[in-house]
Amino acid sequence: MNKTFAIVRREFVARVRTRAFVIATLLLPLFLVIVSVVPAMMMRGGDRTTRIAIVDATTDGLGARVEAALAGESLSAKPDAPKRYSVRRVDAAGRFATVRDSLVAQTGLSRDKYPETLDGVLVLGDSMLQSGNVEYLGSNTSGFESMALLEGSLSRVLRQTRLAHSGIDPAVLNDALKGADLKTTKVSGGKATGESGAASFMIGYFMAFVLYLGVVLYGQQTMMSVIEEKTSRIMEVLVSSVRPFQMLLGKILGVGLTGLLQMAIWGGTLYLVTSQRIHIAALFHVSPDAMQQFPIPTMSAALFAIFLAYFILGFLLYGALYAAIGSMCNSTQDAQQYVAVLTPMLMISFFAVFAIFKDPTGGIGVPMSMIPFFSQIAMPVRWSLSAVPPAQLVTSLALGIGALLGVTWVAGRIYRTGILMYGKKPTFREIFRWIRAN
Amino acid sequence: MSTPAVTIEHVTKRFSGHTAVKNLSFAVPSGGIFGLLGPNGAGKSTTIRMIMDIIEPDEGKVSLFGSSASSRDLSERVGFLPEERGLYKKMRILDHLAFLGEVKGMRSGDAKSKAGKWLHRLGLGDWGLKKVEDLSKGMQQKVQFAGALIHDPELVILDEPFSGLDPVNLQVMKDVVVEIARSGRTVLFSTHIMEQAERMCDRIVIIARGEKVVDGTVADVKAGFGDRNIALTFSSGKEAAERVMSDRSLLAKVDDYGASAEVSLADGAHSQQLLLALVNAGVGLTRFEVVEPSLQAIFIAKVGNADVAPANAEAA
Repeated sequence: MNKTFAIVRREFVARVRTRAFVIATLLLPLFLVIVSVVPAMMMRGGDRTTRIAIVDATTDGLGARVEAALAGESLSAKPDAPKRYSVRRVDAAGRFATVRDSLVAQTGLSRDKYPETLDGVLVLGDSMLQSGNVEYLGSNTSGFESMALLEGSLSRVLRQTRLAHSGIDPAVLNDALKGADLKTTKVSGGKATGESGAASFMIGYFMAFVLYLGVVLYGQQTMMSVIEEKTSRIMEVLVSSVRPFQMLLGKILGVGLTGLLQMAIWGGTLYLVTSQRIHIAALFHVSPDAMQQFPIPTMSAALFAIFLAYFILGFLLYGALYAAIGSMCNSTQDAQQYVAVLTPMLMISFFAVFAIFKDPTGGIGVPMSMIPFFSQIAMPVRWSLSAVPPAQLVTSLALGIGALLGVTWVAGRIYRTGILMYGKKPTFREIFRWIRAN
Repeated sequence: MSTPAVTIEHVTKRFSGHTAVKNLSFAVPSGGIFGLLGPNGAGKSTTIRMIMDIIEPDEGKVSLFGSSASSRDLSERVGFLPEERGLYKKMRILDHLAFLGEVKGMRSGDAKSKAGKWLHRLGLGDWGLKKVEDLSKGMQQKVQFAGALIHDPELVILDEPFSGLDPVNLQVMKDVVVEIARSGRTVLFSTHIMEQAERMCDRIVIIARGEKVVDGTVADVKAGFGDRNIALTFSSGKEAAERVMSDRSLLAKVDDYGASAEVSLADGAHSQQLLLALVNAGVGLTRFEVVEPSLQAIFIAKVGNADVAPANAEAA
């Protein structure tokens, strides 16, 4: 057991120390944080109070009305929300061009050096009431949303003014101009999920992808590692000290632990980012409100546990087979012929996910989440989409563990003979003979 | 007599098409240096692999320390340097050595400190944190050599331990091997370089084409081969000497180096007769010495007629 542990540790340390592992492990969490925080951070620019100067060349008080309307706008619906605009109106009757140019000269300067700098200059003239044309010179003109809001505010003032000129009561007007506000909630399978359909799809797809990739990558690594031991001939020293089955076990567990560490870091980050994203956002000085505008799917602790359990099961199943393939071959090229048997199984289990998205409890979803070799992707995805009866979960796990024992037995027998075979790769008939041999 | 460290009884191993080892029996006594000699392709490595339980004999029995357990179960008492050297290229040297100790059953801490000591002893003390792939081939070989010895085994089996080493490293490793034997432990090594075996071994077995041809202590083997070798150095009358030396009733074998020659007496002939014949022929001699045969000579005499060249062995 001590020897097996030495092999497990060697595999683990050798892998975790590689630059590739460190980079891959860190990049994904970084990506997740970026994806969840950055949009809100980007939004923050628009959520700052905008400083606007109004060059007022109007003669009938329209400029004052615009000033009042803009000053009344807030950044959000909350009562204590900051003002959207800080407005300064400059009466420019007669010297309109001079005032405009002097204000424009104060616009878009570095906010650190000139705290009083303006974001934009709004030029109002009497003609606007008729034509609707308003000139805005600003540093934020590319912000579609800010411009649309500003345009909306101006339109409302113009509309009210025009209607008032036609003799309509302002109180009736305000009521008449109230719009509708649509509140949306996604319903799936008779249940309100609390998150959008796109979000569920995202997390399911992400899990399926990571599980597929994890099993393929770490399975291949197990295989390469066995081939390396064969070609470097270190096998002879090992096999004279350690039982082949101990070697196989040590190798699979060692590589598996590396994978598990990576999956735990990835899954854990996803879990943290989705459940704690408000706090994470606070680190970047992004307000909770801003975060709420970007709903991203949440990964529950239970789902995380299921995800890890099925990664372990799936990796051990395929890892043992990959190791057995490695033991039969002397080069990666040789191994491709046998890997070609495993890859379709993994592909099927991955693509079945799309059927599960469509109907988690349908004719494909249920069997796929039960059958070993497929269930390692299907079950976590199903779990993330709908409630799975405990009996089905237990059956799926039991079948998986049963298959694991069988596969390990077969792989152990192939491995035992394969590791000392040099020269041509064995035929399938020879492999069956190895399995049957005592 | 104490239990032999290794006993091989009537062992035969066949690979598809040819027999690598044929009915081989010998015992490696406990303590001392034992040489397993033979030309390339004689079956030395196959024999060693069977001793290490890497492959199983088709017939016969191999036992270590008189125990019926497989050598894998006894591996804590056995150190092994395979012919095909191999290390994990990406591993740090110190970790690698410690790992080799751990798979032999050492505790991790012991293995680490022992690994450090070995690296120091082999002049690799500053290299412990370097990766294996950063080392030269000779250095890697030293690391592997240390890996075979790190757990202080009582039996050390080295397959061609000195091949590919420069003279300095050869000396270092030779000293280590001799020291192990001096401490009462057993070293079994294979080689096809006879000078090494002659200088180091207490006992040898020579095998050729899978069969044993010589077995015994180096002294006995030499004595058994007889004091029938004579070294000659000529000062004059070389042509006359060549005529004398071509007499097959007198000499069985002649190695003519021009100004000197090494000859072996034919059965029944006596050194006195050769001296007389040479003197009568008027050959001037500055040296006439009855010499102990070298292992090289014995090897060639015993194996050479069977055929030394592996190419011939293949055809046979």
